[in-house]
Amino acid sequence: MNRLFASIKKEFLILIRDWAGLGLVFLTPVVLVLVMTLIQDASFRKLDETKITLLYLDKDQDTLGIQVKQGLEKAGFFELITSLKDQDLNEKSLFNEVKKGNYQMGVVISKGSTEAIWARGQQLVRQILLGADAQAVEDTSRKAKIIIYFDPAIKMSFKVTIRNTLENFTSKIEAGILFKALSSELAQYLPEPPATLSDPGGGIIYEEIYASDEYTEIIPNSVQHNVPAWTIFAMFFIIIPLTGNLIMERESGIATRLRVMPGSQLQALGAKITVYVMVGLIQFILLVIFCKLVFPFFQLPSLVLGPEKLALLLMALATTLAATGFSVLVGTVARTQDQAATFGMVSVIIFAAIGGIWVPVFMMTKLMQTASIISPLNWSLDGFYEILLRGGGIREIAGNFMALIAFFAINLTAAIWVGRKRVRQ
Amino acid sequence: MPLNPAIEIRDLIKMYRGTDEPALNGVSLVVPEGEIFGLLGPNGAGKTTTINILCGILSATSGSVKVSGWEYTHNTEQIKHIIGVVPQDIALYPALSARENLYFIGGMYGLKGKQLKERVNQCLAMFGLEEFGNRLIRNYSGGMKRRVNLIAGIIHQPRILFLDEPTVGIDVQSRMVIIEYLKKLNEAGTTIIYTSHYMEEAELLCSLIAIIDRGKIITEGKPSVMISNKPGCRNLESIFLHLTGRKLRDY
Repeated sequence: MNRLFASIKKEFLILIRDWAGLGLVFLTPVVLVLVMTLIQDASFRKLDETKITLLYLDKDQDTLGIQVKQGLEKAGFFELITSLKDQDLNEKSLFNEVKKGNYQMGVVISKGSTEAIWARGQQLVRQILLGADAQAVEDTSRKAKIIIYFDPAIKMSFKVTIRNTLENFTSKIEAGILFKALSSELAQYLPEPPATLSDPGGGIIYEEIYASDEYTEIIPNSVQHNVPAWTIFAMFFIIIPLTGNLIMERESGIATRLRVMPGSQLQALGAKITVYVMVGLIQFILLVIFCKLVFPFFQLPSLVLGPEKLALLLMALATTLAATGFSVLVGTVARTQDQAATFGMVSVIIFAAIGGIWVPVFMMTKLMQTASIISPLNWSLDGFYEILLRGGGIREIAGNFMALIAFFAINLTAAIWVGRKRVRQ
Repeated sequence: MPLNPAIEIRDLIKMYRGTDEPALNGVSLVVPEGEIFGLLGPNGAGKTTTINILCGILSATSGSVKVSGWEYTHNTEQIKHIIGVVPQDIALYPALSARENLYFIGGMYGLKGKQLKERVNQCLAMFGLEEFGNRLIRNYSGGMKRRVNLIAGIIHQPRILFLDEPTVGIDVQSRMVIIEYLKKLNEAGTTIIYTSHYMEEAELLCSLIAIIDRGKIITEGKPSVMISNKPGCRNLESIFLHLTGRKLRDY
């Protein structure tokens, strides 16, 4: 016990004098979590909370063009630009501005679009009343056309969101014009003119409910998603100071001294693991406090921990153990500081990438979804989501917890085996 | 009943992986208790390999090693308690002070509390480092680091002390302090196993010497007897050159 205590004290002293390592372990994660959450916050917010600037060219100059413009302005999440440098837009200048990347998108309402919708309404009435003969009565090849120009650099997901929003929005206007056209056309065929038809609105009501337990305080948002993801990533940063510590001991001959002193290799590693696991837990707690108390000052929602605090702590413990075990193995296998730092960080980045830290696993290809199973960051993230998003507890995270503990045990065993093999050969 | 020798090696062979020639090729040695034993040889002769096997850092390919009658296969922990090792490298934590390094090392040998504190102070004072005890090792001079490196090997008062070139690269003053201390330590009953490239230092310090070359012991005995038995050789250095040759030994 005295030896373990002496070793822990020594490791602690070394750690607190390593300012660069401390900065990496405590300061970088805070900045990382804050910056990443702020960046990704926009994509989690509703669209109406964000202003998107678009170039608008109304070549229709009729109901559709006017109503789309009014509607977009009224909706509040688009800022419409119809002229540049006091000159009215034309299709060429709009195209060039978007092409240059000055604007992410431009919308052109083609000439005669309202007329085309109107004609379609008339055609529908004639088809109903005159049957097949109506085909000969009117040419229906004219169609309303809305052209959307996108900056090639725009993200596909953003493009799809904007397009869907516009489609949804313009279809309502189109329906309104169609109803008016129908009323007008019917009046010509019926003895008594009908009351003007109007769109009664959607017949389907959409209700969104998160499929989580009763704990309603938890609302999925950028913070609930990003804080666990980037915290896990940051917890694996200890690979840099820990591998550095191990290699420094080996290169300086201290490891040799440790081997000739009483005590086992496991005891020496045990002290390091104890200190670095404590560091990981402190790092986690500080990040949680930061996200709860400081995030609101950055217009971010405060982190909601939910009722399962013990489960959270257990996941943090298992994650930091996994990170420590992996670091010990890398520090034992690597021959130089450069090797350890490069391989360590690259492997953590790969684990993070396939583990769903940056892009959710469900959005990956089948192959990558299968690959994500090997990432300890994925097991950890899944466990944290279970608690922070689905309201799960210890029972729900048991599998993830055990997987991380097994990962730690396998890494530590491998490190001891490699270490023994290397020193006595 | 005769005492166990401090060190007893029989037919020691060590082959490193990926090499054709053995680093040690049948080394046999007996070092009685209370001696200062110098293991001398050119670069790559097998000195450090021998010391590393004796300290339990390396395992031998074949042969037997006994330290105070114990074998590493069965009595590793007992051996670790009675030996002290001063490696060639400065095996200290640069981010810790001398005192912190020594507290840690003493703690590993089971020293604690007042006993540990007193022993650390005593050792620092013996080597003229008492007032620098709280300075970080990274801020020490080469000679001061060497002295703390030596203290780290003797903090627990071992019965057998292994020193692998303990005075390499330091000033004359520091070297003299170390040599004087080793003599006193030996007078107090500690067996010292020592390697060095400094022949004059070995001649001055050692009661027994063995010269190793190409993994084999080529001569051993008391320095004075060795010198008197070799006509034309006036000192240990001339015997050394006579036996190992003048050719450079890069390996």
